Parts: sequence; structure tokens; C-alpha cells
Amino acid sequence: MGARELIALLPIILISVSAVLAMLATAFIKSESAPAYVSAIGFVIAFISLFVAYPELPRAVTPLLIMDYFSYFYIGLIILAGLAVSLLAYPDFKKRGVRQGEFHVLLLLSVAGSATLAASAHFASFLLGLEILSVSLYAMIAYDRPDIKGLEAGTKYLVLASVSAAFLFFGMAMVYAGVGTMDLAGIAVNGIGGSISALAGIAMILVGIGFKLALVPFHMWTPDVYEGAPSPVTAFVASASKGAVFALVLRYFTQAGIHDTGALAYVLLAVSIASMFIGNLLALLQENLKRLLAYSSIAHLGYLLLLIAAGGRGAFIAGGYYLAAYFAAIIGAFGIISALSTGRKEPRMLDDIRGLAWESPWLAGFLSAMLLSLAGIPLTAGFIAKFYIISLGISKAMWWPVIMLIINSVIGLAYYLRVIAAVYERPQKELFNAMQTGAEAGKISLISGGVLAVLSVITVILGIYPPLLLKIIERTL
Amino acid sequence: MTTSFYLAAAVALASTLMVITRARIIHALLYFIISLFSVSIMFFAAGAPFAAALEVIIYAGAIMVLFLFIIMILNLGAEAAAQERQWLTPGIWLGPSMLALILIADLAFLISRGGGYANGLYAVTVQPKDVGIALYGPYLLGVELASLLLLAGLIGALHLARRNVPEEGEDGTGIN
Repeated sequence: MGARELIALLPIILISVSAVLAMLATAFIKSESAPAYVSAIGFVIAFISLFVAYPELPRAVTPLLIMDYFSYFYIGLIILAGLAVSLLAYPDFKKRGVRQGEFHVLLLLSVAGSATLAASAHFASFLLGLEILSVSLYAMIAYDRPDIKGLEAGTKYLVLASVSAAFLFFGMAMVYAGVGTMDLAGIAVNGIGGSISALAGIAMILVGIGFKLALVPFHMWTPDVYEGAPSPVTAFVASASKGAVFALVLRYFTQAGIHDTGALAYVLLAVSIASMFIGNLLALLQENLKRLLAYSSIAHLGYLLLLIAAGGRGAFIAGGYYLAAYFAAIIGAFGIISALSTGRKEPRMLDDIRGLAWESPWLAGFLSAMLLSLAGIPLTAGFIAKFYIISLGISKAMWWPVIMLIINSVIGLAYYLRVIAAVYERPQKELFNAMQTGAEAGKISLISGGVLAVLSVITVILGIYPPLLLKIIERTL
Repeated sequence: MTTSFYLAAAVALASTLMVITRARIIHALLYFIISLFSVSIMFFAAGAPFAAALEVIIYAGAIMVLFLFIIMILNLGAEAAAQERQWLTPGIWLGPSMLALILIADLAFLISRGGGYANGLYAVTVQPKDVGIALYGPYLLGVELASLLLLAGLIGALHLARRNVPEEGEDGTGIN
């Protein structure tokens, strides 16, 4: 590994170094905000380093990691997600009165794990990246310890993630036993050569991946964990942790030409359509905001899986665009819940935010932008993203899946609009025994307000002027 | 050597099955130790003596001792001691001892056949030197990533186990 490889690896190195610096800041500096500064600045520098190291691409860094434009695009998305979560978490934890330090160390580490996943070229880095991400998430979900719900969510995630990781690792061992290599690109290109053990291994790997992406039928943990975790952490679980695994799946499944393999493509399609329907129908029944968004995220990953079942060059474009739009919207939506919380109390139910527009028109506007983007309404990023998925599906003549997607978009629209309608309703708080949100107390922090504004602007700009992002994504092909 | 491998594997399955079906944690632990030893013998028979030694040192050694410490810390008081005496009846040793005997016979057989691993399941024997070269050659980043993983575990455990979490009222007025 020479200097050029180290430069190509710079973003991951910088994030890891920031994690160590944040740890030292926690240990030696009395100020609560020092680690938060370290993590925010660390993310910004790591993001800038993407452009510095850009000329060194593409480059394989040891057999474990591949640093190319594709990896860099997803690493960039993950770093931005980490930055947004770090900025949202600072005021949120200040309101809760919990320590900042360890959270920012764990956040940096989990971003390093996600970045490793997005760039991994080998079972070993896949495994290690996933475990770094999971182990950090266990503690991040249960971070607010006095909150029993968070502790419960953390324990649930610990048990279920361990079981799914066991499936994944056993699957890797079986694939290795079958084909004798752990190189992901090698397995994707050369196939498994009819080895039964490798085929069983791939099925087990799919179980592990399905859990991480919260696809049906491995989605049971999602609502509980999303509801129990502090909102900034939920935003991270919903965005970066899924995005990293999705990047890996998109790259290698598409490279393997899984859309042409018949049986496996049908399995992916079935899982995708089941995720859409179950996610959307259960979201329709929810009165609880965080659970509603949890079910909607199951449906969104269902849409994304459709891309992998379709395959080809279009899958990379649509996947990158959809994920960017989804990141901005889902982080924004959970960010608003975090901004509206007072201490440990978050606006959990729909009734809690009824009439929000009359208290805080800006936040209501941001929330509407995020939800409309998730629903896929024109002029938002979500519309362009969904448009790409549908046009890819039509170009591959996948009529039934496309029709399913359109039906699901309509179901989705129903519950997103229900939330927006509630936000713009005339306030009748006395009737509902609802909580007093941060907006009424006039305690929306400037930082979270700023992050939410930026995310809303991104959502709208990507919806109006898609070439901005498309040009970057086209470099990754 | 294939027979030795499958014999150890059978012991591993049997003992692990016993681990998850025991109602008392001490009984489960006895079987768990056997399970770890049998995995070690599997490594040995498959031509990886270094991995076999690590399995014994790290799992059967360090990690089992940690388990025992936890149980010691949890079971305080004379009542617990009486209960423990009741649990540790001679009969309970029988199962794990039988399985351990099978493993010892297996290991003795392997060693009697010219050092065991020298003619293992596979033609290649993985020596400590090979492991070191792999770890600090192509898998260098793996070692670094594993250190990040351990850091994440350490920081997470530190935070979750911290004794004096500043308790807040339900209104969550917070510090500062």
C-alpha cells in the first residue's frame, strides 16, 4: 500500500482520525460541546478530502477496498448524512441533558463503518464494516439511558442484528466453501458455478442484507427501533446504515447480472413488492409519527430493491438519485421531530403536531417539503427519483412491478397527506390532550433550524434541476 | 483425519444444543466450554493449529473467565451459595465429562498419527507465520478496521455501563 492508495483512502482515514480526536476531546476537555465540534469539523474535512483525493481514482486499496467514483459518491452521501445527524444531535442531546462526547465518537465510527461497507470489495471488509456500523448503532440507539424505550430498542436491535449477522457470516463461509474466493467482484463476475453450498450461502447473505435494509419479511424490528431511538439516531439508522448496505448490494448484484438470472430476480421482485405493500399499508394505519415513517422507510427500500431486480446502467443512476433524495427527506423528517421535542418528550403522535403551521410556519413548510418528497410529488427530489425508477422499469418491460409501484405511490400519498393536513389544521389542542412541542415553547435551536432549511432547499433544488446531481452520478458509472 | 474432524463437530453440535436447553446458567457454561474445545479440535484436525490454540486461549480461557466473573458478581449472598451447592450435584458433571473424554480421545488419536495436523484434512497446514504474513500483508486494512470495531465496542460499553448518568426530571430541563 503506497502513498497513492493512502490518498485514495483519505476520507475513511480522516473520519477514523476524527473519531480518535473526538474521544480525546471527550476525555480531556471539560466542555460538552468540544466533541460535537470535532465531529462536525471532521465530517466537513472528510467531505472536502473527497475532492482532494478525486484524481487518484479509481484505485484498489489492498484486496479489501475499492475506491472508485461509485464508492466516493456513496461515501460522500454517508458523510453528509453523518454531518446532518451530528448537527441535529447536538441540540437534541442538550435538551435531553445527556452527555455529548461518546455519541459523537460512535457517530464518527459508524460513518467510518458505513463508508467501508460502501467501498468494500471483499467479504472481510464487508463483515468488518457491517460490524463497526452495528456495534456503534447498538450503543447509539440506547444512548439516552434513562429513557426505557430507547434501552428496549437498543436491546432489540442488538439481538436481531446479531442473529442476522450470524446468517450473513455463515452465508459468507458457505460461499467461500463453494467458490474458494472472498473477492466480491470475482464472485459477481464468475458466478458460483452451480455450487449448491454457495447458492445456500447467497440465500443466507440475502437474509442478513434483508434485515439491514428492513425488507419484508425481516422488517419486524423497524417500528420499535425507530420509535425508541432518539430521533437523530433514527435518522441515521434510516439513512446512512441502509444506504451503505444498498450501495454494496447495488454494485455487486448488478455486476453479477442478477436481473437476468431468473429465480433470484423473482425472489428480489417478490421481496420488493411485499415490502412496498406491507410498509405502505401498515403506515396507513399508524397514528404514531415515528412508526409511520418507519413503515414508510420499509416501502422506500422496496422501491429501491425494484431497481436491483431491473438491473443495468439505469439502476445505478436511479439508485443514486433515489438514495440522495431519500436521505435528505428522511433525515429532514426525523430532524423535525427532534427539533420539536422538549427534552425527552418527542412529538410521537399525529395529534402532537396538529396545527403546527400556526405555531411555526417554517417548520411546517420544511416538514411538508420532506413528506411531499417522500411521497414523490413533482417539484421535489422524490418525484424525479421515482420517475427514474418507473422509466427504468418500463424500459425493461417490467409492467407488473411498475403498476405495483404506482399503486403503492398512491397509498403512500394518502398517509403523507394525512400528516400534512394535520399540520395545517386549525389548532384545537384542548380536545386532544396533546403535548406542548418545542415550537410552542419557542425553543427551536438555530442549528437544527439551519440543517432543516438546508435539507429542504436540497430537496426542492434536486426536484427542479436534476442535472445538478445527475452529472455527478453519471461519473460513477 | 476426516473422522476426527466430524467426531469433534458432532461433539460441538451436541454440547451447543445442551447449552441452549439448560435452565441454569452454570450448567450451560459447562457445556459451553466443551463446545469451544470441540471447535478448537476441529481447527486442529483441519490443519490450523494456530487457530486451534487461539480458540482455547481466547474463548475457553479469557472469555469464559469473564462469564464466570459476571456470574460471581451477580450471585451474591449466602442464599446464592446454598443454591449453587444444590446445582452442582455430582450428576451434573457427567454429561460434560463424557463429551470432554471423547474430545481427549480424539485429540490423542490425532497426535498419535504423527502430530495430527501434519496430515490433516487439507494438504496445507496454516502456521502462525502464515497468519501473521496474511494479517500484515493483504489484510492490513482488516486489522485496522478491527481496531475501529473494538473502539466502537469499548466506547459503547463505557457509555452504557457508566454509573452516574445525570438523571433528569420528566420535563427534561437538561444541563446548561
